[in-house]
Amino acid sequence: MGRTYLGEFEELVLLTVGILYEDAYAVAITKEITKQSERSVNVSAVHKSLYRLEKKGMLKSKLSDPESKRGGKRKRLFTITPFGKTALDESMDLRMKMRKQIPELAFKLQIV
Amino acid sequence: MSRKVTIPRIPHAFFKWYCKQEKYEEIHGDLEEFFYERVEVVGLAKARLFYIWNVIRCFQPYAWKIPQSQNSNIVMFRNYFKTSYRSMIKNPLSSFINVFGLAVAVGVCMVAYSFMDFDYSIDRFHEYKDEVYLTTFYVDREGTEEQYGKTPAPLGEMLRQDFSSIKKVTRVHDGSAVMKHGDNVFHESIRYVDPDFLEMFTFPLKWGSSSSLTDLNSIILSAEASVKYFGSENPIGKDIKAIFNDTEIKTFKVAGVADEFPKAHIIGFDFLVNFHNLSISNPSFDLTDWKGMVNATFIQVEDVANLEVIASGMEKYRKLQNEVEQDWAITAFNFVTVHDLHLGSAEIREDISYDGSQEGRIALPFIAVFILALACFNYINIAIVSSTKRLKEIGLRKVIGANKRLVIVQFLAENLFVTFLAGILGFFLAATVFLPWFAAFADIANEFNLLDGNMWLFMIGVLMFTGVVSGIYPAFYISKFDVIKIFKGTVKFGTKNTLTKVFLSVQLMLACVGITFAVMFAQNSAYQAKRDWGYKQKETLYINVPDRSVYEQMKAAVEQNPDVTSLAGSKNHLGKTSTTTIVHLPARQYEVREIAVGSSYFETMGIELEEGRFFEEYKESERKSIVVNQLFVENLALTEPIGAQVKIDSIRYDIVGVSKNFHFNNFYYENLPTIFTVAEQEDYRYLTMQVRKGAEQNTYESIQTEWSQLFPETPFQGGYQEDVWIGFYEDLGVMKKFTRAIAIVFVLLASLGLYGLVKLNISGRIREFSIRKTLGANVKNLAKNIFSQYVLLSIIAVVFGAPLGHIMITAMIDMMFPEPRPFGFTGAAISAIILVFVLILVISTQVRKVSRANPVEGLKVE
Repeated sequence: MGRTYLGEFEELVLLTVGILYEDAYAVAITKEITKQSERSVNVSAVHKSLYRLEKKGMLKSKLSDPESKRGGKRKRLFTITPFGKTALDESMDLRMKMRKQIPELAFKLQIV
Repeated sequence: MSRKVTIPRIPHAFFKWYCKQEKYEEIHGDLEEFFYERVEVVGLAKARLFYIWNVIRCFQPYAWKIPQSQNSNIVMFRNYFKTSYRSMIKNPLSSFINVFGLAVAVGVCMVAYSFMDFDYSIDRFHEYKDEVYLTTFYVDREGTEEQYGKTPAPLGEMLRQDFSSIKKVTRVHDGSAVMKHGDNVFHESIRYVDPDFLEMFTFPLKWGSSSSLTDLNSIILSAEASVKYFGSENPIGKDIKAIFNDTEIKTFKVAGVADEFPKAHIIGFDFLVNFHNLSISNPSFDLTDWKGMVNATFIQVEDVANLEVIASGMEKYRKLQNEVEQDWAITAFNFVTVHDLHLGSAEIREDISYDGSQEGRIALPFIAVFILALACFNYINIAIVSSTKRLKEIGLRKVIGANKRLVIVQFLAENLFVTFLAGILGFFLAATVFLPWFAAFADIANEFNLLDGNMWLFMIGVLMFTGVVSGIYPAFYISKFDVIKIFKGTVKFGTKNTLTKVFLSVQLMLACVGITFAVMFAQNSAYQAKRDWGYKQKETLYINVPDRSVYEQMKAAVEQNPDVTSLAGSKNHLGKTSTTTIVHLPARQYEVREIAVGSSYFETMGIELEEGRFFEEYKESERKSIVVNQLFVENLALTEPIGAQVKIDSIRYDIVGVSKNFHFNNFYYENLPTIFTVAEQEDYRYLTMQVRKGAEQNTYESIQTEWSQLFPETPFQGGYQEDVWIGFYEDLGVMKKFTRAIAIVFVLLASLGLYGLVKLNISGRIREFSIRKTLGANVKNLAKNIFSQYVLLSIIAVVFGAPLGHIMITAMIDMMFPEPRPFGFTGAAISAIILVFVLILVISTQVRKVSRANPVEGLKVE
């Protein structure tokens, strides 16, 4: 199937969807990322990533019941698919693998 | 919270508009959730801002609606767009020629437009341009009614008193003075006007008030003059001295400074003062004398109906004037609005406006239309020939159901696409290259006014027009192809079609006319530049003196200079001043130019004698002698001019000599019948000298030093006689450059078009040539074969184009120059040679290519 590709922000979104589990929708994800990463995130960016990840097959979604706090509108809840999990794991593994290959000396040299 | 918590309506509507329906609920739900939460935390106002920001941020492809009408025209046009884009990419050369050619044409059109627009806006920024009229009058001159823009002096005041319907009146008169403020001392021209002037001509003021003109001691400056004397500071209330006739000094208070005048102005001023100051600078000027003239009188009348009443009431003034002045007996009065003054100026003599852009109005639209036509024909020809490469596409379209109309629409749409591409490129070309270059010498605004709606309309109009005109024939031509014939491969194209041949010859003809235009203009410029003025303009210097004592002192100083070979005093001077005089002969009266000179003036200026003699020095009887020029003798058909008598102001004069013709003004002006009279030494205003060759500069410098020692208070005025016409030669130089550029554009367009055409034509016949080559054809055979196709067409083009160009351009140059170059057919011949040369060059490159190509390549079928 060729290699999957995850952007940095997409990876964050994917992780957050996992963290929030049953209640992963755009507003909650935006807040969670803001809280965890302490950077300002716009909901639009989250939307974009969510829809792209869904298109790639890493997320699946369903609509919830209407809620009054959002003007009686339903929200779209996302969950990670097995393919999403694989992609996430591969991405994390790759990073760890490569991180380990950096000799300690490299960091020391950088300090000097 | 007092305000109701609501989502901002307009952003919400915007969101609804762009967002797809199936995503609206979830995405907008998110935005709403954030909004209500933020209302709690940061308040309504900020929450609303956040919301708007979010709506803008969400305006992204993932949320966008996809157009619903998948099966409608949009798809069709999208497809057309794609195919035209692909076919352009596939034939980069011919698309480049098309786009570039049209772009150049559109660019030239834009420049022509902005020139015309500028010309038609001159002096039209005044609020009352349609209500303010210049009073003009007619005088009978040998049977023709000549219109004059000046006015008898008493008329303005009388009009104001006699007609209540005239709201405002201003007289305008010009004079010169030396203006002085601190160390800044210059010769300046001063405009004397009535206080109404600034209310009739609405020049905005930067500082001060326009009503201050009622005060005799006030002066209003132009922005330029203000900077010249006072720098960037506000000069209101400051003093500036005016020195009239070198004796009368009057101190004015600066009461106003005008804003920078709009570029499109002719009527303007440097210094404005109240009209009554004329009595100081010119005490002998009698405002009640009907013989006196002021430069202009403007009236303001609101209702056109009232103007007719006024016009019919002018009769009594006519009578008053006719009683005292027979030489200038007015036959009728007329009124011209400020709105029309500039364009009508060529018809009005001695008015304060002028029309210097006639050449432009004649030549530029001509050039623009020709270049556009040339580009269109280039396009048509290339489109027809290149359509042969797309036969299969057209056939396929027809087979799957496109009818004739659809194919036509497709090709027209494609064409409009190309034209608009050309339009964009052309606009940039015009804005960055053509216009700044043109403005550098045509003195018009050098950038486009991007807010000018008419300009955009004009551009779109030109584009639509060229798009449709150039595309309509190829579109019909292509749509007519028979599907079966296309697939059988028996469609005949290009060369066999009579109309195509006609188009090609028209294209060549246009190119021929265009090149003729440029060549003939260049020839004329060169001719005018080399023409003899009829007197010595080199090694001649002149000094402008204010009065006799200065004249005597300067004369004494100059006589010491060993480099000066001769010198003369005069009241008037060639190229500078003269008076218009009426000469009475027994049977008729005749308007001539009068130049009052001292006896040695002829020798000093190098004016040649035809017969008789020039003035002799110091003889009382010489005061009654005049010298006339040849034109005078010819026009009056005098058989024996010497000894003939004429009357001027009822004094009798004898003609003692006839001079050869000479040019008082530059060659844009007609030569006038001229008389020389003897100037009183009292009246000498010019000191003219002839110097040894090579000593001009030294003499000039030493005179200047002399002057500044003798008269440190007065600025020096004088110079080389050659410089009197410096503007004219600059103009010619400009025209030379301009026509050269135009010639290059024409040659470029023509050769590009031909190149594209020939190349396409030959690449269509590549198989034929390959077969010929394998069967033994050599370069000569091939060349003969290819050339024969174009020989007849080029002959037709040259035979018709060159004479056509010759006739048109001769007529055009005749309109601009009273004495144009006597044209033989060299101009047309040169252009024909250029065209034929380009033609041969273009075809030869293709012949060479064919002869070098390996026939195997041409015969290979994939």
